[in-house]
This record gives sequence, structure tokens and C-alpha cells, in this order.
Amino acid sequence: MHPGPLAASDLASYLPVGLILLMAVGFAAANIFLSRIIGPSRPGGVVKGQTYESGMNPVGTARKRFNVRFYLIAMVFLVFDVEIVFLYPWAATFPNLSPGTDEGLVWLGRIFFFLFTTVVAYLYGFRKGVFKFD
Amino acid sequence: MNTLAFLESILTGQLLVSGLVIVLLVHVILGTVAYMIYLERKICAYVQDRIGPNRVGFDFGLPALSFLKGALGLGQPLADGLKLFLKEDYTPTRVDRLMFTLAPAIIIVPALMGFVVIPWGGVWDMPSFTLLGVAVEGGPVHVTGAAINVGVVYLLAIGSLGVYGVTLGGWASNNKYSFLGGLRATAQMISYEIPLGLSLMAVLLVVGSLVPERIVGFQAREGWLMLSQPLAGVLFFVSILAEANRAPFDNAEAEQELVGGYHTEYSSMRWAMYFLAEYAHMITSCAFFTLLFLGGYHLPLVPWLRPEDTSIAGALLKFGVFFGKVVGLICAMMVIRWTIPRLRYDQIMIMAWQVVIPLSLGVVVGTSVAVHLGWTGILPMLAMNGVVLALLLAAQPFLDKGVRTRALPNARIRLYGSRFSPMPGERVVTSPSDPTALEDRPYEGTARMI
Repeated sequence: MHPGPLAASDLASYLPVGLILLMAVGFAAANIFLSRIIGPSRPGGVVKGQTYESGMNPVGTARKRFNVRFYLIAMVFLVFDVEIVFLYPWAATFPNLSPGTDEGLVWLGRIFFFLFTTVVAYLYGFRKGVFKFD
Repeated sequence: MNTLAFLESILTGQLLVSGLVIVLLVHVILGTVAYMIYLERKICAYVQDRIGPNRVGFDFGLPALSFLKGALGLGQPLADGLKLFLKEDYTPTRVDRLMFTLAPAIIIVPALMGFVVIPWGGVWDMPSFTLLGVAVEGGPVHVTGAAINVGVVYLLAIGSLGVYGVTLGGWASNNKYSFLGGLRATAQMISYEIPLGLSLMAVLLVVGSLVPERIVGFQAREGWLMLSQPLAGVLFFVSILAEANRAPFDNAEAEQELVGGYHTEYSSMRWAMYFLAEYAHMITSCAFFTLLFLGGYHLPLVPWLRPEDTSIAGALLKFGVFFGKVVGLICAMMVIRWTIPRLRYDQIMIMAWQVVIPLSLGVVVGTSVAVHLGWTGILPMLAMNGVVLALLLAAQPFLDKGVRTRALPNARIRLYGSRFSPMPGERVVTSPSDPTALEDRPYEGTARMI
């Protein structure tokens, strides 16, 4: 079915990833340094150093408390993300079982139980109002 | 002699081809990114019935090259890039200097790393040859950046690293607008990562492999997955729009409310890198979508575009077809940007958590049941999609009840004495009475005065 030699368990197949990492980091660094060298550098006073907040003089810093909703979203995201990570190996192997067997049914049941725990967490968050944005 | 043996063990044909593809593709992608900005401005101009950039050619002000003047404005990206280098790269005084400098680099590195696992050219049967005294053994090689066996997961992992640059850029700027934009972008990107992963899983459940080449091979045999999994495809497309912070999900840089969002304080190339990263991310996402749902390089009825074809002409043609599909998707994204108005932030998040995520979970459950029963053809899969959609639409009223308390703000928080909720016994006049106001709104005024 598949012509290619994909013996990719060896680390050599990850060498190109290292190459592109080097190139990307080099591109970013070169951009930052080149624009710093080529571009002008004019001295600025107090006003130039201020942050731009629609022309107002900035009041205080931006390091303030912010809405707790962002934390809630991050926490629920973690639940789902970990679930997804655990599901990938299953998703890649499950269709290779022959369909309709008892073995497949056991796999399906286990994964559905795992999904069900996440759905319970989701519904709990739903009822608690985590997903209300008004 | 030892080094030669070592070189021969390391220098496989796959590595050479991968390196060549990477070095070529980085330039292709950076050039495409530059011309995507031009394309975006042109599409925007046509949508708004303007002409768009049409002045900057390649004459550089030289009389000898005056025949290159104009040239449809194709010199615009070059001029823009040079201009950005010549701008002052200014750091405001109150920012976190280290993070402020690092954030653009952090966002562009993952954006440039994603495309390596895309199977651009399929498989090429390489002949044996000798390079600088080192014998390179021939054989079938993957014409791709990196032939790794967890390709799809790598793509997803690298794509989601883009969140860090946005968050850090917003935080390091010490600007309230940037901070808000960064927070919003973070919440939005992590929220839409879940449906992205889940709809990808709907594909994996059908294909049964994480190798990009096999996903294309499966679609060449059984039909494109957009036909059998349209729901997952649409959810995936919505999610990549939101992941790339593209309109209608570009709340992170909603210029009417947040100035420029997380890149308000940036200037010169550091500012440009945010844009380069956004467009590079678009290319990678569209390639990902093409790989998963549009059959990769496969086109029906063309013999060179089958996965079994291993000639060099086939590899080049496959590359062209793949890139053509990606460019078509990018144009679709741009038309979407200039035709659909931006959603409000709360609408985006409600859509993610109350509609898109349950729907994608439903697709995963439906697909796994269908795979277990052996219904993997196009028609049974379509039926499964319809059932999932119908079930979720039927469940919507029950979910809504007592959960969605989206009252109008003015009804919830009473501002007594305002014209929306007057004090008891107070009579509120809502029509203008001031003569200048009447002059401004003659219709309203005359209607109410009678």
C-alpha cells in the first residue's frame, strides 16, 4: 500500500526539524538585529516613552487584576486538552481493528466512559456558568 | 575513512531531499507571505470597489527600467519590507524589555516550523548518486520537509505554540489595550484548539494513521474526506480561522476597541514579524486543511497525482497542485475576512463552548460508532453527520433552559434615573428638545413634536 521507507522511529528523521528550527530562529534574530542596526534611533522624551492608550496619559500600569473568567477558561481547556492527548493513540489504532468484534466493543466502551467523565465535567462547568459571557 | 562511513550512515537520500525541500520552501513561503499581503489588499480593494495597490513597480526610479513601472503594483511588498527595515525600532520605557523583544521571535518560530511535515510532493523514487565522494543510496524518499511518523500531531503541537507569542507580547507591552488583546487572543486560541483537535480526531478515526502521506493515500482510494466528513471539515475550518486570529474572529486586534491589540506598542520589523507569523500560520493551516479534507495533492483522473506515482515529474506536479489548493483556500479566507463582520468577543466564546465543542465531540462519538460498525463509506458517514447534527439541534432547547442567562445589560444592572429605568414617578423625555438637537435630527424632531 505504502511505498515509502517510513522507519521514522529513529531520531535521524527529526534532523530536518532541527534544521528548520535553526533557520526560523536565525530569521527572527536577523530581523530583530537588522532593523535595530539599519533603522534610525532618535532620542525620545517622556511622552515618546509612554505607552499608547488612545492618546490619554496612561494611568497606572497594566499589571492589574483581570477577570477571573480567563482562569476558568484555561482550567476547562486543560481538562479537554489532556483528554484529547489521551485520545490520539486510541484514534490512530482503533480503526485498524476489524469492525464489529467484541474486542472493538470493549475498546469503544472504555473510551466512551473516558469521554463521559469529561462530559460530566463539561456539564458541571456549564451549570456553574463557566461558559456564560455577558 | 571513519568520517566517510559516518557521513554515509547519516547522509541518506531522505535527509538530502528533506533539507532541499526545507531550504526551498522557507523561501517559497516567505515570498508567498509577502505577496499574500498584496493579494489581501487587492481582494479588499475589489470587495470595496476600489483598485488597490497599483503604483509601485520594479523601476526603482531608474529611467532605464521605466518599462517596469506600474507592473500591477507588484513591487509593493518589496517596498513595504524595505520601509519596515528603515523604521525606528522603538521600545517604550515601561515595558518588560526582554519579553518585549522575544515575543515576536517566539511567535514567528512556530509559524515557520509547521509546514515541514506537509507531504507536498508525495514519494519520489530517487536514483543512486555520489555527492562529493559520498555515495548516496537511492530508493523511494518522501518529498517533504521531515518524514516523521507523528506528522499530524507535530503540526497540531507546533501550531498551538503560537499562543505564547501573543500572550507575551500583550503582557510585556504594559499597555492596557495590549494586555486585554493578549488575554482575549489567548482565551480564544485555546478555546478553538479543542474543536481543532477533536475534528482532526474524526479524520484519524477514519484513516487510522498519523502519517500525513497515508492520510492522502486513504483519500486517493476512498474519496476526499470533505465528502464523507463535511461537519468535521467545517468545524476544522472555523477553528483554523479562529486559531489564526483571522476575521471574523480577529478580536485580539479589534482596532475599534483595542487600538491594535497585542501589537500596539510594536514598531519596525518586530511589528512586521507578527504579521509575517499570521500569514505564515494561514499557509500552514490551509495546508493542514487541504491535507486532511481536500485530498492533499490528489486530483481525480490525473495519473501523476496518485500516491503510487513516484516519478520526479509527478512529485513536482503534486507540489504544484497542493500549493494551488492552499492558495485557493487562502483566497477564500481573505474573501471571508472582507465580507463577514467581526463577531463580538462574547459571541465568539459562546460559539466555541456552547456550539462548536459539543458538536465536535458529537462528531467524534458518531465517527467512532460508525467505524466500529464498519460504515466507513461516504454515504453512511454522511448519514452519521446528519444524525449528529439533528441530535444536537434537538438537544439545543434543553441545554439552553436555565443555563444561558444572557439578559440585556440595561435590564440587569439598573441605572436608576437613566432614561431606560426612570425613578418611580419620574417622567422621562426621550425625544430631543434642544433646538440644535432638533436641527441635527429633523425627522426625529418633527415626528415627536406634533
